[in-house]
Amino acid sequence: MGKDAFEITLNIVKMILIFLVMVQLVPVLVWAERRVSGFMQNRFGPNRIGPLGLMQLLADAVKFLFKEPFFPAKGVAAMYHAAPVMALIPGALALAAIPLSSAVIVEPFQWLGREFGPYTFLAQGYDFGVGIVMVLGISSLGAYSLLMAGWGSSNKYSLLGAVRASAQMISYELALGLSLVGILMIYGTFSFQEMINQQLGQALHFNALGKEVVISWLPNWGIFYNPLGALIFFCATFAESNRLPFDLPEAEGELVAGFHTEYGGFALLMFYIGEYGHMMVASALVTVFYLGGYTMPFYEITPAYVQQAWFGGMHPNWASLLTGVVFALVMLVKVMLLLWVFIWVRWTLPRFRYDHLMDLGWKTMLPWALFNTILTAAWIAFSWR
Amino acid sequence: MLTSTDFLFYVLAFISVFFGAAVVIARNPIYSAMSLVITMISVAFLFGALDAWFLAGVQLIVYAGAVTVLFVMVLMLFDLKHEMKTFSKGLLGNGVKLIASGVTLGMLLVYIWSTYATEPTFKPLPPAATSSIKATKDLATSLFTDYIFAFEAIGALLLIIAVGAVTLSRITGGTHHADS
Repeated sequence: MGKDAFEITLNIVKMILIFLVMVQLVPVLVWAERRVSGFMQNRFGPNRIGPLGLMQLLADAVKFLFKEPFFPAKGVAAMYHAAPVMALIPGALALAAIPLSSAVIVEPFQWLGREFGPYTFLAQGYDFGVGIVMVLGISSLGAYSLLMAGWGSSNKYSLLGAVRASAQMISYELALGLSLVGILMIYGTFSFQEMINQQLGQALHFNALGKEVVISWLPNWGIFYNPLGALIFFCATFAESNRLPFDLPEAEGELVAGFHTEYGGFALLMFYIGEYGHMMVASALVTVFYLGGYTMPFYEITPAYVQQAWFGGMHPNWASLLTGVVFALVMLVKVMLLLWVFIWVRWTLPRFRYDHLMDLGWKTMLPWALFNTILTAAWIAFSWR
Repeated sequence: MLTSTDFLFYVLAFISVFFGAAVVIARNPIYSAMSLVITMISVAFLFGALDAWFLAGVQLIVYAGAVTVLFVMVLMLFDLKHEMKTFSKGLLGNGVKLIASGVTLGMLLVYIWSTYATEPTFKPLPPAATSSIKATKDLATSLFTDYIFAFEAIGALLLIIAVGAVTLSRITGGTHHADS
C-alpha cells in the first residue's frame, strides 16, 4: 500500500475513486441504454424528469432503495442474500486491475517540516504484474453469483437461468482465453502497462518477411495486428457479461427474469451493477488489448511535453497529474464507445436458441480461436519485429 | 515478529483449512461445493502470497472459475436425496470407500512423516524472478524441460479421463436408470 501515511491515504482514496467510477457509470449507462433503445425503436424512452430525462436515474435509485425487501418462503437465506453482493465483487476487483490512465509521479517535497519522498501513483487499484491472468481469474468467479441466486431463490425459473448461465460462462471462457493467446504472444507480456507502451508510436509498423512495413494512416493498435482475435474476444465478452444476444440466463420470454426472478429493490440493482461492471471490464480490456489503451492515436503526450508546450514552466507534479487526466478522458471515450456498441448490438441481434449458443461457442469460436493462435505463432516464428 | 506476509499466510491458511474441513463435514452437497470454492480461492491467494501471481490467477481461472462451477451446477441439477441413498448403501461399497480413504490417509501420513523427519531442503528462489513475466517464463521453462515427462503424463491422464467420462455417460444403469 505504501511507505508512509501520505502514500497509504492517497492509495485508499484512489481505490475508492476507482470503485465509485464503476458504480457511478452504471446510472449513466442505464439512462443511455433506455434512451438509445428508445431512439432505435422509434420511441422516446424516459424523457420527462429533468433535462433529457437524466433525473430519471435519481428517481429510480430512490425507488429501488425504498422498496420492501422480499425473501421467498422456501429460499436459502444465506445464498439468497449473498448472491447480489457476490455479483458486485468480481466486476469491481477486475476493473481495479486495469490501468485507466498513466501513473502520476509526485516529486519529493517538504510539508510540516517532514520530508516526503518521490511517489508513483498508478492509475489502477493494484498491479500484480500478471494483469490479464488475474482479471480473467477474478471475473470468472462471477458465475457463482448467478448460481447462488438461482439456488437460493428455490424457484425453477431462477435455477434454470442459473444453470444456463454457468454452462454458458464456462463454454465461452475457453474461447475468451484462447482468443487472447495470439495477442499475448505478439506483446510477449501479461502486464497491461507494457501492452499499452507497445502500442505507442505514430503509425502501424512491423516487419513482414524481413521488410519494414509502415502504414502511416493507421494507428499502432493491437486490433490491426490480430483482428480475428479481437473479434472473437469481443464476441465472447458479450456471453461473459450475459448481454444480448447471449442473455439466456435471464431470457424474459421463457424464464420470467431468469436467475433474478425473485429479487427486487436494491438487490436487483446490485445485479445490474454487476452486469454493467462486467461490460465495463470487457470494454476496458478490449481498449487495452486492441485499441491502444489510454493513449491517443498519432499524438503522443508525455508529462514533460505537457509541461513545456501546453503550460510553460508548470510544476512537474501538476503536469504529471494533467497528463493523467487527459489519458483518463481518452480511456473513458474509448470505453464509452465500446459500451455503446454493447447497447447497439442488443437491439440488432435476436437472442440465440440454447443449442445454437453452445454450437457457436464450442464449434465455431473455439476452433477459430485455435486457428488464430496457430496463425499468430507461425507469423511470429517466420517474421516479426 | 509477525510480518504482514506471515499474517496474511495465517489468515489464508486458517480459511482454507476451515472450509476444507467444511467440504467434508457439511451435510448439504451444495454447501460442500461452495466451501470448496472458498478453499480454492484462499489457496490461490496463498500462491499469491508467495509472489506466484501467475499460478494464483490460473488457480482462480481453472479451479475456482471452471471446475467447481461445474460441480455446483451438476449438484444443483441432481435429485440429491436419491443420489445420497444410492451412493451410501451396501456393505461392499462402504468397505471399498473406507479402504480407499484409509490408504489415502496412510500415504499422506507417511509422506508428512518422511519429510518431517529429515531437514527441509528448500531450493532458494531464483533471484531473477522479480518480474512476473520472468517468473512465468521460468515456470514454463521448468515445465517443458525438467518436468516434461510428468507434464505429458498428466496430459495423457486427462485425455483418458475425458474419454472415460464420455464412455460412462453413454451407458445406462447405476443412478442413471429411468424409473424415478
